[in-house]
Amino acid sequence: MRRIAVYGKGGIGKSTTVGNVSAAMAESGLRVMQIGCDPKADSTRAVAGRAIPTVLDKIRDDPDAELGDLVHEGRGGVLCVECGGPRPGRGCAGRGIIAAFEKLEELDAIGTYHPDVILYDVLGDVVCGGFAMPIRNGYARDVFVVTSGEMMSLYAASNIAGAVADMRNEGYARLGGLIQNSRGVRDEDSLVDRAASEMGVPVIMRLPRDPSVQRCEEAVTTVVSGEPDSPMASNYRELAKRILSASEDVEGGMRLERFL
Amino acid sequence: MRTVIHPRPSPIVAAMYTLRDMDVDVIVVHGPAGCSFMASRPLEDADIRVVTSAMRDSDLIFGASDQLVDTLRQVEERFHPSTVAVIGTCASMIIGEDMGSSIRKAGIDANVFPVDVHACMGDNTRGAIKALEAGRDAGIIDPEECDRQISLMKAATRLEKNVGMASKDYIRPATSPTKMHVCRRIMDVLSSGGRVAVVMDAKKELAYRFADMFEAVDRARGRLGGETLFVANLDGSKGLPRIRGYCSEILSDLGSKGVSIDEIVGGLDEYSVVGEEMRSRIDAFSPDLTIVLGICHAIPGISADDILITDQPRQLANYLNMGCEWAVGEISSHTMVMGAHSIVPMETADTLREML
Repeated sequence: MRRIAVYGKGGIGKSTTVGNVSAAMAESGLRVMQIGCDPKADSTRAVAGRAIPTVLDKIRDDPDAELGDLVHEGRGGVLCVECGGPRPGRGCAGRGIIAAFEKLEELDAIGTYHPDVILYDVLGDVVCGGFAMPIRNGYARDVFVVTSGEMMSLYAASNIAGAVADMRNEGYARLGGLIQNSRGVRDEDSLVDRAASEMGVPVIMRLPRDPSVQRCEEAVTTVVSGEPDSPMASNYRELAKRILSASEDVEGGMRLERFL
Repeated sequence: MRTVIHPRPSPIVAAMYTLRDMDVDVIVVHGPAGCSFMASRPLEDADIRVVTSAMRDSDLIFGASDQLVDTLRQVEERFHPSTVAVIGTCASMIIGEDMGSSIRKAGIDANVFPVDVHACMGDNTRGAIKALEAGRDAGIIDPEECDRQISLMKAATRLEKNVGMASKDYIRPATSPTKMHVCRRIMDVLSSGGRVAVVMDAKKELAYRFADMFEAVDRARGRLGGETLFVANLDGSKGLPRIRGYCSEILSDLGSKGVSIDEIVGGLDEYSVVGEEMRSRIDAFSPDLTIVLGICHAIPGISADDILITDQPRQLANYLNMGCEWAVGEISSHTMVMGAHSIVPMETADTLREML
């Protein structure tokens, strides 16, 4: 099983990218579980084709909730999970991520569904311990960061790289590389390249700006399933391949044992 | 390096006890059901209702403001209080709960005020100070009394850091020696016509127990002879009404047993600042034996020859380590005095009475 976390600044296109990667991996015959880690709970919208109920809402309302209430099958058989979380200005979203993961483990989501890949789609920067959960405690083995050439996006990417590096000696996650989601910034490729080399990781893919992304988003679908013959769908398929080859397939449960 | 290893009193608990001193009717602990429960039970014995909003994991995630509103409404329905304090805990404060907003939303018919504390604030007295300030802002204590209390809290903090239980990173709690040797010595001095000073510097309600020693020594002097000097911080004109009440109850209990205090030095909340004055009263008496009760280390110049009686196992360890071989512990006194309205018998005093 591959355990992959995708981070990046809010609004940079993480969920769109992750949803398309999930769809492309599923299309190639892999069993994919996509776990959205953002209180907005919109990570899986395109791949599920709808808004699904969140883990945290479910377990608050029904402590005996079952796995079937938390995991929802989307397009191409992608297993969709949304952690969910509080309304803005309340509670603790980070604590929510921790509790949602604990629940999935307790209910043996992995032993039940046997996914080949888990893709964590994680909110923005690493804002607190909860949002760092995927990169510590063995949840994710490989971390990728989606970024454009915009300054704030690269800055967030660098923070994430720093957090991964800090936790590196715990022996869990490692940074696999950057995914460039182009915004048309001047000298964008070289800006992203420079940032990547400072972090000591490759840019594994450059995704161009493409109107198909917006069209499919409006149609609540992925590009891979909504416009399967488009060049952008091919780009996502290629990205899925590269992520697979840049990540490690390790047996075991939801969490890796220490992996030094 | 952290200079704290052994567990210390919690600012949350200090806030709760301070709210008790201010005669709050109900304390709502906004946090997990088990938070501070060991401290809550004796408060219930002292006729303060302590309830909890019983936060759970989902409240940490989604916030617990609605639960707090609910708890406050239940409090009104059940207890019809006139003053209610809502105190924070680590759990509610880490997630940034707005207790004031829940209080307004609950709209109950009592003076309800929030106390912004959690247990990661450092010194426990910071919790007490927060409670005092909140009580002042809610109009239940006047600003002068609040300032006076805060300066006493700060003095208490300094005392504990300099010579008390916060003076070392780790103190292993001691178990008390039995009290026979101490009582025999008191009897020997009195029998030979000697002079015994009994000095109580008690922290608030603990006076209900330590004051028992006056009765026992008075009785011993009646039987055996000798002279005594009784000094106590039982000035009933100092501090909050509740604490003043302790002084009058204890003095009238002693009076009914025919015992009077020779020199009253300071109030029951002034235990950390009356030491010098007590020392001069002791010296003026030139005793052959000095018995110190309560916060013994607040009195300068205590010697290895003095009998020191404390309720705290770690403080007892401090005294024994200092070479005060006449130190004994009246351990667990605090739970015994909660809710007391008359003197609670002390082991040392009982032993002395039995030996007479």
